[in-house]
Amino acid sequence: MSQPEQVTVTVDGQEVQVPKGTGLVETALAAGIEIPVFCYEPRLGPAIGACRMCLVEVEGMPPKPQAACTLTAQDGMVVKTALTSELARNAQNATLEFILVNHPLDCPVCDKGGECPLQDLTFRFGPGQTRMTFPKRTFDKPIPISPTISLDRERCILCYRCTRFSEGVAEDGELVAINRGAQSVIATFEDEPYRGRFSGNVTELCPVGALLPTPYRFEGRPWEIQSIPTVCGLCPVGCNVSVTTREGKVKRILSRNHPDVDGGWLCDKGRFAFGHLRARDRIVDPLRRVRRRGLEPVEWGEAVEEAARLLRGAEGRIVTALSGSETVEQAYALAKLMRVGLGAHTAMLPEEISDAVDGFRLPLSAIADAELVVVVGDDPVEERAPIVDLWLRAARRNGAEIVVAGIGGGAAACRRLAGEDDELGRRLRESERAILIWSGTGGAGGAHVAACAEQLGFGAKPDSGVLYLPQTANGRGVAEAWACAADEEAANPEPIALLFVSGDEAASNPDVRALAEQAERVIATTMFQGVAVGWADLVLPGTSYLERDGTYMNLEGRLQRLRRAVIPPAPDELAWLSRLAGHLGVEVSPYPPVVFAELSERAFGGLPYGEIGERADLRGREPLGKVEAPPLEKQPRRRGLRLVRYRPLFSGPAVERVPELQFQRPAPEVELSADDAKRLKVRTGDEVFVRSNGTARRLRARIEGRLVAGVVRVADEHADGLQPTVEVTRS
Amino acid sequence: MAIREIVLAGADDRDLTRLDEYRAGGGYAQLARARELEPAAILAELDASNLRGRGGAFFATGKKAGFIPRESPKPKYLTVNADESEPGTFKDREIMLRVPHRVIEGSLITAHAIESQHVFIYIRGEYLTEFEVLRAALDEAREAELLGGVTIVLHRGAGAYICGEETGLLESLEGKRGQPRAKPPYPAITGLYGAPTLINNVETMATVPKILELGGEEYAKLGTPDSTGTRVFSLSGNVVRGGNYELPNGTTLRELIYHIGSGVPDGRELKAVIPGGSSVQILTADQIDTPLSYDAMREAGSSVGSGAIIVIDDRACIVQLGLRVAQFYMHESCGKCTPCREGTRWMVQLLHKIEDGDAEEAELDLLLDVCDRILGHCLCPLGDAAAMPIASYVDKFRDEFRQHVREGRCPFGGESSLEDVFAPVDQHRGHPTVEVPT
Amino acid sequence: MIDEIRQVAAQYPVARSAILPALRIAQERHGGWLPPEAFEEVGEALDLTPAYCKAVASFYDMFHLDPVGRHLVEICTNVSCALVGAQQVVEAFEEELGVGPGETTDDGAVTLRTIECAGGCGWGTVVVVDHRYREPVRAEDVPRIVQELRDGD
Repeated sequence: MSQPEQVTVTVDGQEVQVPKGTGLVETALAAGIEIPVFCYEPRLGPAIGACRMCLVEVEGMPPKPQAACTLTAQDGMVVKTALTSELARNAQNATLEFILVNHPLDCPVCDKGGECPLQDLTFRFGPGQTRMTFPKRTFDKPIPISPTISLDRERCILCYRCTRFSEGVAEDGELVAINRGAQSVIATFEDEPYRGRFSGNVTELCPVGALLPTPYRFEGRPWEIQSIPTVCGLCPVGCNVSVTTREGKVKRILSRNHPDVDGGWLCDKGRFAFGHLRARDRIVDPLRRVRRRGLEPVEWGEAVEEAARLLRGAEGRIVTALSGSETVEQAYALAKLMRVGLGAHTAMLPEEISDAVDGFRLPLSAIADAELVVVVGDDPVEERAPIVDLWLRAARRNGAEIVVAGIGGGAAACRRLAGEDDELGRRLRESERAILIWSGTGGAGGAHVAACAEQLGFGAKPDSGVLYLPQTANGRGVAEAWACAADEEAANPEPIALLFVSGDEAASNPDVRALAEQAERVIATTMFQGVAVGWADLVLPGTSYLERDGTYMNLEGRLQRLRRAVIPPAPDELAWLSRLAGHLGVEVSPYPPVVFAELSERAFGGLPYGEIGERADLRGREPLGKVEAPPLEKQPRRRGLRLVRYRPLFSGPAVERVPELQFQRPAPEVELSADDAKRLKVRTGDEVFVRSNGTARRLRARIEGRLVAGVVRVADEHADGLQPTVEVTRS
Repeated sequence: MAIREIVLAGADDRDLTRLDEYRAGGGYAQLARARELEPAAILAELDASNLRGRGGAFFATGKKAGFIPRESPKPKYLTVNADESEPGTFKDREIMLRVPHRVIEGSLITAHAIESQHVFIYIRGEYLTEFEVLRAALDEAREAELLGGVTIVLHRGAGAYICGEETGLLESLEGKRGQPRAKPPYPAITGLYGAPTLINNVETMATVPKILELGGEEYAKLGTPDSTGTRVFSLSGNVVRGGNYELPNGTTLRELIYHIGSGVPDGRELKAVIPGGSSVQILTADQIDTPLSYDAMREAGSSVGSGAIIVIDDRACIVQLGLRVAQFYMHESCGKCTPCREGTRWMVQLLHKIEDGDAEEAELDLLLDVCDRILGHCLCPLGDAAAMPIASYVDKFRDEFRQHVREGRCPFGGESSLEDVFAPVDQHRGHPTVEVPT
Repeated sequence: MIDEIRQVAAQYPVARSAILPALRIAQERHGGWLPPEAFEEVGEALDLTPAYCKAVASFYDMFHLDPVGRHLVEICTNVSCALVGAQQVVEAFEEELGVGPGETTDDGAVTLRTIECAGGCGWGTVVVVDHRYREPVRAEDVPRIVQELRDGD
C-alpha cells in the first residue's frame, strides 16, 4: 500500500506532522496536547460529534467552536484548543456544565469513582461549583439490564457509546436509546435482558458509572486493586486482558487492546466466567481413592509419591489425555516426565492441528481488511472463537463479502473451491485479500483448508491466508510441547495400565471417559469435584489460566504470555510436576521461564521468554512446501438427516459454575436448511422432535439458510443421546 | 398593489390539483423544456435567479445543487423536504394542497439538473390530506408518463420537528431515529445511503418551474437584490386575517400585518412580531417597518427564517411566550448533543421559575448565560433555534422579566393570553418510560 | 401484515427505510398503539430487532407506546394557536371529556392530547381529530365535536 500523504497541522502554535486524514484528536495528541472527549471512540465507527466535549477553534472555519472528533487533519490547518483559545475554553466549560446539570454527585458510592473519565475531566476542566438549582432527573436505579450488567440512568450522560457498540460493532441491536431529547434513556426491549456474546464491552465503553459490571459492584476501589496483564484462556483467540484483583481475589476482567488480536473487545465468557475460580466444588487438596470409602484428602507429599508409584507401576503402558488448556510449559513438563522419564509416548491430544496452516498465517486483524472471506466448517464462528465474529462483521462493514460455505461438508467445499471451474474459487484466486476460515472439528486440523489455500495461490499473497479455529485455547501450544519433548513414536499400549487425565476439558470428554473404563488406574488433574471424582483413583487439584504463569499459543500461531493474576488454592501443576519428575529421575524446573528456555530452541526458534512481551508479535509464515489435501472421508449413505453438533461458547466446566452466565446458554434449538424445512413443512419457531434410535429431543426449529440440505445442527447440550443420523418430525 | 404570484400562480383560477388543469395553464411545459437542456444550463438559470432556499436557511439553491458531483459511482438522490414543522409555518402545506404538480414538476427539473433518477419527498406525518393530494397528483403524473424514468417515493414522517433538519431527515429516511449527523461530511457528498444527496424545500421546488419559464434574470427582478422573487408568507397569531400570502420578498411587516392581514383584532395593541418562525429573534412593535428580506431582517437583529410571521398583541406575557417556545424546543430536541438536550430543559426550568415569580434577578442573567452556552455549541441548528429567541425575549423585554422578579408573580395576574398553556412536553412529565428487566 | 410491510419496503433501496410506514401499519392493526408484539412483527418483516423498532418508534410523536382510545383528539398548543385561545379549547375538551391531556376517557372512546405546531397557524386553534385537521376550532365548538365522536361510535 502507498504511504499516505503527510500534512502539517498547527495545534496551539505547535507544528505537528501527521498522515492526511488523521483525526484531529489524534493529531493534537501527536503534538502532546489532549482534547478531552466522551462520545469519541474510533473503534465504534465514524465520529458522531454528540457530547460536544472536544470543541476547538479552527482557523478558516465558521467562527464558532468545531467538534474536533469529526474533523481530520488537512495541510495547513491551524487548531486552537482550550489551552490557547478562549472560544474553545468557554465551549468546553459549557459542555461540562451541561453534562453535570443532571449527573448525580454520588461519586463517593459510585464504582466508577477514581477511574471515571467524567470525574477526571471535571477535575481538570470543569466548573468548581454548580449553578443548577432544580431537581435533577430521577429514575429507578440501578436496573439490571442483564444478570451481568447494571444500568444507572441518572448517571448516564447519553454519549451513545453503548448503543453504537450494540448496533455497529456487535450488531446485536439489543441495547438502544428510547424516547427523545431530555427524556431519552438507554434500554433493552421491554423486560428482556441484554443478551449477546459481547454485552460486557459496554461497561468498559461507558465513560461514567451508568453501565457497570454487576459482579464488580461495591467490590473494590481503584486505589486498592491490582491489574495484571495476561491473556484469556477460554477460547483459541487469546484476547489480551487485564485482570483486576483485590486481596488475592479476581474481581473483574477487562479487555486490553491488542490491535491485531482483539481490537480491545472481549466476549462475555472471557469477561464474566472468572467466578469459576471460587466454585463450591473446587478441589483444593489431592484426593486418593480408598477402597469402599471413596476419595479422601491426602497430604501433597503422599499424593506425589502415590502418583509416582502408580506411574512406575504402569511400566510405560500409559496414555496421557490432554485438555488444551495447559500452558506450553506445563504440557512440556508433563510430556518430558511421561516420555523421557517413563517411555510413555502415547497421548490423546485435545485436537489435531496441521502444521500446514502455518504457511498461510496472518493476524486476525487482516480479516477487517479483506475483500472476500469464505468460512467453511460445521461450527458457528461466534460459538468457537467469538472475537473472530466481530472481525468478520467489521470486514462486512468495510465492504468485504463474507461467504459461509459448506456447513456439514467443509472438506468437500474446500475441494470444490480449489477446482478449476468454481466461481467462488476463481474469485478467491484473483483476490489479493482473501481469507479462508475453517470453523469446526474435522477438516484434518486445517489440512483441507490449507491445501485449498495452496491451490488458490495464497502462499504468494501476504494479505491472503488461512485461519483455522481450534476448539481449545492452547491446543496448538500443547501439541507443539508434546511433540518436542521426545522423538520416539507412540505405541498403543494394550491393555492400558494407567490413564493420566490432564485438565477438566479432557476429563469431561466422553472419549476420555471411555478410555478410563479400559484403564486399570486413572490419575486425573481437575479443578472441580464434579468432573473427575467418580472415576479417578488419584485426583490432583488443577488450576485455572488465571492462576498460572507461562505461555499459550492462539489460533493465529501467536505465542502469548499468561501471567498469574491470583495464587491458586493449591500448588500449580508445574510445581508438583517438577516434584513428581524428581521422583522419576527426570529434571523438570518448576519455573516457567526455565522450562520455556528448554523447549524454545526446539519449538520456537530459540525465542527468549522475556521477549514475548505484553503485546505479543506474530511469527512469519512457515511454509511446508507442497500441501496435499487429505482424502475425503466417505459420508455413509443414510436415510435421514446428518446431525452436526457443536460446542456452544457458553458451555463447559467454567461456565457451568457461573450462575450469572446461565441466561446466555443456547436455546433448545435445531437448525435446519431451507430445503429440509420446506420438505418437512417446518417454519422457524415450530416445535419439532429430533429422533434417533429411540431417543427423541423436543426442540424449536430455526431455518439457517447457510446449512446444506440434509444436515441439521444442534448445540451439544441439546443433542444428548442423539446419533449421527436423525429424523426430524413436527410435534 | 399588483402581486405577481409564482408559486401559487393560477391556483385561484383553476383546480391545479388536477393534471389536465395544471397542464392547461402551462404546467409541465418547463419540465419538457428542461429535459432538452443540459443540466448545467438549468443550474445556470438557478444561479441567475439567485433563488435561495425557502426552508429557512436561505442558502443559494443553484450553488447547493452545484455541490453534487457530476460523476458518482453511487446513485444520486434528490430529497424534497416537506417536513414543515417550524412553529408558525404552514405554507408548504398550502403549496402541496393547491399546486402539487408544481412541486412534482420542480422536483423533476431539479433531479434532471443534478442527473438524479431518485426523488424522495419526505412529508411530515401529520399532513395526511396533503399526502393524499400529493399522492394523487403523483399517480396522475406517473400515468401520464411524465416521470421519465425517475422514481419518486412519498415518505411520511411520524412526528418529529428535528426531521426537518436536513441530516435528521436523511437519518429518518434511512429508517433510524431522526438525529442529525455531524457535518462534514456534507449531504452533497455523503447523504442518503452514503450517496450524494440534494435536499430542497417544497416551496423552493415549486418555484423552479417559473424560474425556467421567466428566465433566471427576470425572476431576479422580483423582490430585492439579496432576496429575489416571491415568498409564501405564513401569517398567524393576533391578526385579523391569518393565512398564507405570496408576496415579493422585501414586503414590510407593516404591509403584511396591517394591509393584508387587516391588523390586530379586538382593538388591541401590537406588542411584538416573530418574523420568521419561532426560531428567530423577536421584534418589537416599533420595528414593523422592516422589510421581509434577508439583509434587512439581519440588520434588525432577526431573520426572515421560514417566512412565518407570528403577531403578538399586548395580552401576551413575554415570559410565558418564552416558556412555551422553550418547551417546544425541549420537546423536540433529539437528545443527541449535550448542550441542546440539557440546555433546553434547564431553560424551561428557569422560565417556569421566573414566571412563577420565584426567581431572583441573577437568574435572568443565568438564563441568558445558558442561552449563550447553547449558542454555537450544538451539533445542529436546533440548539441555536432555542437559545436565540429566548435570549432576544430577555433582551428586548427585560423590564417585563424584571417585573416578574420584583413583584414575585406574573404581572398579568392570570389574564395573559398565554396563561397556563399545556405543552405536549408536560404530558411526559412524571412518567418517563422506565422499564425494569427481570 | 408482514407481506404488506415487505411490499412497502420494496420501494426503498434499503428495507430499513420502511420502518416508519411499517410501524404505522402495525399501529393501525393494533388499535392505534404499538404493543410489544407489534415491534416483534415489524422487526421480523424488516429483519430488525424489536428493540431497534421500539427505539425508532419512541422517537416519533405519532407512535403511541400506550393504549389509546378509539378516537384521538389532538390540540395544537404552540404559540400561534395559544395566542388565539388554544388553552381554552383544551379546557373545553377537558370539561367535555372529563380527562386531561395525555389521558383516555374511562369508556376508551377518546384520548386527549396536546401537540406541537400542526401547521395550521393562520387558522388556529387547530384540532386534529382522528388525523384530520379541524381549523379554526374555538372553545364553543368543542361540545359539538365531542358529540359527533360519541354519535359516530
